[in-house]
Amino acid sequence: FIHILCVGFLAVSSEDPFLTSSSLPTCLPFASSQSVPLPFPMAHGTTTLAFMFQGGVMAAADTRSSCSGLVACPASQKILPIHSHLVGLTSGTSADCALWKRILARELRLYQLRHGRRLSTSGAAKLLSHMLHPFKGTELCVAATLCGWDGGETGPGSRGETTKNQMTELFYVCSDGTRLRGMLFSVGSGSPYAYSILDQGVHWGLSVDEAKSIAREAVYRATYRDAYSGNCVDMYHITSKGWTRRNREDLKEEYYREKERRKHEKTERRDVTFSD
Amino acid sequence: MALEDVCSFKERPVQHKWFSFSSLGDAAIPFPKSDYYNLRLETSENNCGVPLHFFIPPLPHSSSFINRPLSSFCPPKNSMTVQRPFRLAHGTTTLGFIFQGGVIAAADTRASAGGLVACPAVHKITPIHSHLVVTSSGSGADCMLWERILIREIRLYQLRHGHRLSIRATAKLLSSMLHPFKGTEMCVALTLCGWDNGPKLIYVCSDGARLQGDVFSVGSGSPYAYGVLDRELRWSLSKGEAISLAREAVFRATHRDAYSGNNVDLFHITAQGWSQRKREDLKEEYYRDKEKKGKKKNDKLK
Repeated sequence: FIHILCVGFLAVSSEDPFLTSSSLPTCLPFASSQSVPLPFPMAHGTTTLAFMFQGGVMAAADTRSSCSGLVACPASQKILPIHSHLVGLTSGTSADCALWKRILARELRLYQLRHGRRLSTSGAAKLLSHMLHPFKGTELCVAATLCGWDGGETGPGSRGETTKNQMTELFYVCSDGTRLRGMLFSVGSGSPYAYSILDQGVHWGLSVDEAKSIAREAVYRATYRDAYSGNCVDMYHITSKGWTRRNREDLKEEYYREKERRKHEKTERRDVTFSD
Repeated sequence: MALEDVCSFKERPVQHKWFSFSSLGDAAIPFPKSDYYNLRLETSENNCGVPLHFFIPPLPHSSSFINRPLSSFCPPKNSMTVQRPFRLAHGTTTLGFIFQGGVIAAADTRASAGGLVACPAVHKITPIHSHLVVTSSGSGADCMLWERILIREIRLYQLRHGHRLSIRATAKLLSSMLHPFKGTEMCVALTLCGWDNGPKLIYVCSDGARLQGDVFSVGSGSPYAYGVLDRELRWSLSKGEAISLAREAVFRATHRDAYSGNNVDLFHITAQGWSQRKREDLKEEYYRDKEKKGKKKNDKLK
């Protein structure tokens, strides 16, 4: 039988103001047999996390890009700033994530230029979710966590209460259609290890230093146990003034510090004689 | 090998006692299940009556299966064994670790069957003898059976030889007993936690793994427990701290994992034997934790 390869522009509805000038990929993969087969099963080999607290949003991620058993890149960037007050954490296929981050950044900038105000984080999440929707069921794999601060630039249509509009937002958007708002998210193969640390220590009243230390600890524990997470940890802190980036820290140092500590324990353990 | 001799663990032709009826090409004939699953144990003739024989079902890759006469019964691929209703995923959280005060073993109490909580109050930690406790994961039925078999074998050894089998030898014995079932659908992952001249923790799995270590956590909730354990586990923990750490690790796992939950069981093994802490419902802990976080939020806002 004949394989029909459909080539055409993505049909854009006229009432959708955001996509009128989009140049989304022109050929949608209609049948997976016609696209490039996956070389190995995607398993979101990463650890990214983000949580909200009184001082804003703390986002942290490891920096290992893995390709089945190979560490393809030990210094990749999984936290991508989208604009001054919005940061996206990515998990899944790094190529897809990099592309969609750029598309989202462009769409948000266009919105800002057209309407004179920034799109809220929840709007950005909805936009991303709708843009990813046509690819549902294909091999596209993007799991993004959007962390942002809304408010501050009030347009003519906003209400007078500035406190209500200014808030941190945390959204999880996935290429299978999930869009969730929450206070704490961790994505990737290392996420269970991070979740238990975060559940223990995260609460609204954390100070900035405490939040940094718990985020770092959670990523470190995930890299300790998960094979697909590792190398360094990146941390971003989003507040009303925008995002600030902490220096990338190599977790190898932390690992060796802990190993030293355990070695001391081992020597004192050998000295103990078991009675009875 | 001495152990092999004691257990008469040689390759014996499997007794096809239950294949006595002839026409079995037809899958519609009901299989006499009572005979198939009847593990009648025979004492061996040459050795001092070590009853470690099973009527091992002819496994596809064992020699007896290949060598059987072709005219006899040939089980079609999946029709005669019970079909698995859902995929086994070790839906549990069990953990064990060693510290200066002995060994702690902890587990949740939820038995799940696919999406159903089949039983919210199961015992996943079973004492084998006064100084050995085993935590189980995998198929609940298989684990219960193998715990009983292990208890019996250890007791028999003790009666025959006058001293208890060491924990490492127990693990080896268990591993060799599980070996014939490798490749079948049996799923057993046990962690032996005990004391013999020092705290011991050994993980034995029906895949064949047998590992000694300082900390093990098994089951679908194990990554969550590992995060908490890795962070705070030290050799120098006090007994109270160790118990609270084990409890916290199981609680965090039950919080995030759907297949773990309900209560937490805790055993503490020392040179004097094992002692069991009262079973605790984690629902209370959840509400306490929620309140604590709420209070911290209010304190900060003031």
